[in-house]
Amino acid sequence: MTESLIFFALAAFILLGAVRVVASRDLVHAVLWLAVVLVLTAVMFLMLGAPFLAGVQLLLYTGGVITLMLFGVMLTRRHHEIGVEVDSSRRLPGALGALALFGAMACAIFRTDLPAWPSSAPVSALEIGRAFLTDHLIAFEVLSILLLAAMIGAIVLGRQSDFGDEPETVYRKGGRP
Amino acid sequence: MTPLMHGFVWGLVIATVLVTIAVLSIWFERKFSARMQSRLGPTLVGPAGILQLVADALKMMQKEDLIPEKADSILFRLAPPFTVLFTLSVAAVIPFSENVLAADLDIGVLFMLAVGGLVVFPVWIAGWSSNNKYALLGAMRAVAQGIAYEIPLVLSAMVPVVLAQSMRFSDIISVQAETHWFVIWPLGPGLIAFVIFFICSLAEANRIPFDIPEAESELVAGVTTEYAGMRFGLLQMAEYLHTLIASAVAAAIFFGGWDGPFAPGLHWMVLKTLALFFTIFWIRWSLVRFRSDQLMALCWKYLLPLSLLLVMVAALFVHYCGVGA
Repeated sequence: MTESLIFFALAAFILLGAVRVVASRDLVHAVLWLAVVLVLTAVMFLMLGAPFLAGVQLLLYTGGVITLMLFGVMLTRRHHEIGVEVDSSRRLPGALGALALFGAMACAIFRTDLPAWPSSAPVSALEIGRAFLTDHLIAFEVLSILLLAAMIGAIVLGRQSDFGDEPETVYRKGGRP
Repeated sequence: MTPLMHGFVWGLVIATVLVTIAVLSIWFERKFSARMQSRLGPTLVGPAGILQLVADALKMMQKEDLIPEKADSILFRLAPPFTVLFTLSVAAVIPFSENVLAADLDIGVLFMLAVGGLVVFPVWIAGWSSNNKYALLGAMRAVAQGIAYEIPLVLSAMVPVVLAQSMRFSDIISVQAETHWFVIWPLGPGLIAFVIFFICSLAEANRIPFDIPEAESELVAGVTTEYAGMRFGLLQMAEYLHTLIASAVAAAIFFGGWDGPFAPGLHWMVLKTLALFFTIFWIRWSLVRFRSDQLMALCWKYLLPLSLLLVMVAALFVHYCGVGA
């Protein structure tokens, strides 16, 4: 009883936060709401008996958010005296896309045969580590390579000017190469 | 007593003691720095100036509660308490003796790193919401430094985890009690990992020589520029708490925690923590501030590869020599 009460309260807060992420006009506020959503999701993982996942969620995703915020502030234009505003005029396509994604995911979730509620004790970090390096080793390594490829891709995209005709790099003008 | 009650009561006790030590350390630091520079420090208020803290606190509370007109007032108010909250949360998983601990989590070290990493949020918010260019520059520097040093911090904290084969603080300490402290054995990885961990903790707490986010000669007071009164006091307090808790963590995972002869465990843990805490003051008043680029070069070019190497060496050591539970 208490557990489901906490669950619904938590879920409500997560949804509220998620709505605020897209509805906030101030970029920094939006990103902060995203951080709130991610932290609450970590709490959700904790409730579902996955403390390791909760810790990793905090360490990686919220850590990623702060970077996102920095880039958001550095790379976007300032419209007002304070803050960076975000808004989009294409609301209908956005809503349709969101609905389509929601439909697809809901469909997939309802069709999968999931265990009702985790009845077992929390999964220890040791078990997860073992599983990664034995049963799921290939998937784990493939994911690592995928991440590495994404990272290299980002670097290549970011430094495109180095490969093009015009070497118009910002920091090469200033000082040392 | 249920685990929840136990955690609540001990958490409250530990938090109170830590905050008290952090406040007292401000007096100690003044006296200590004065000795190092042939000055006297506080002498007038109470014996040896010990009541100076009370005087400072009273002064801070009396100050006008200033919020800049163009600041983001909600975030501006939220930032200081959250800085203290996230910093103190880390103390929940640190065992001060076999019994004095709030929560002995299975993911102890991960929790410590994850929640400790959140501290950069309120610091950034404090700087951004002030709507002041010096505060924003300070916040940018704090975040850049925080993200960069987080990586070697995590990797160097992994060395004791690998050696003890557990992320639970009490397991790490019992392995050290059974064998040796990780800082002296296995010779090499443990010691170097401790040095890296210590350097990164200093950088995360923005202490000299890594205090470029609040470099007062360039940025007025960095992130705290617009803060006055008790809000400033909270931000300042969080910094002291951060170094104190980092010392406790280092004492637990590298110096054997409560392990030691003759005296009860709690005494040893407190002694080790305070010794490391003292070292931080010592470093602070001995060195000068790094430049921004030197700071980044130190992290990315030296600490990061070295800490990666250390994790591998530790893993090889465990594989071939076998330690831990």
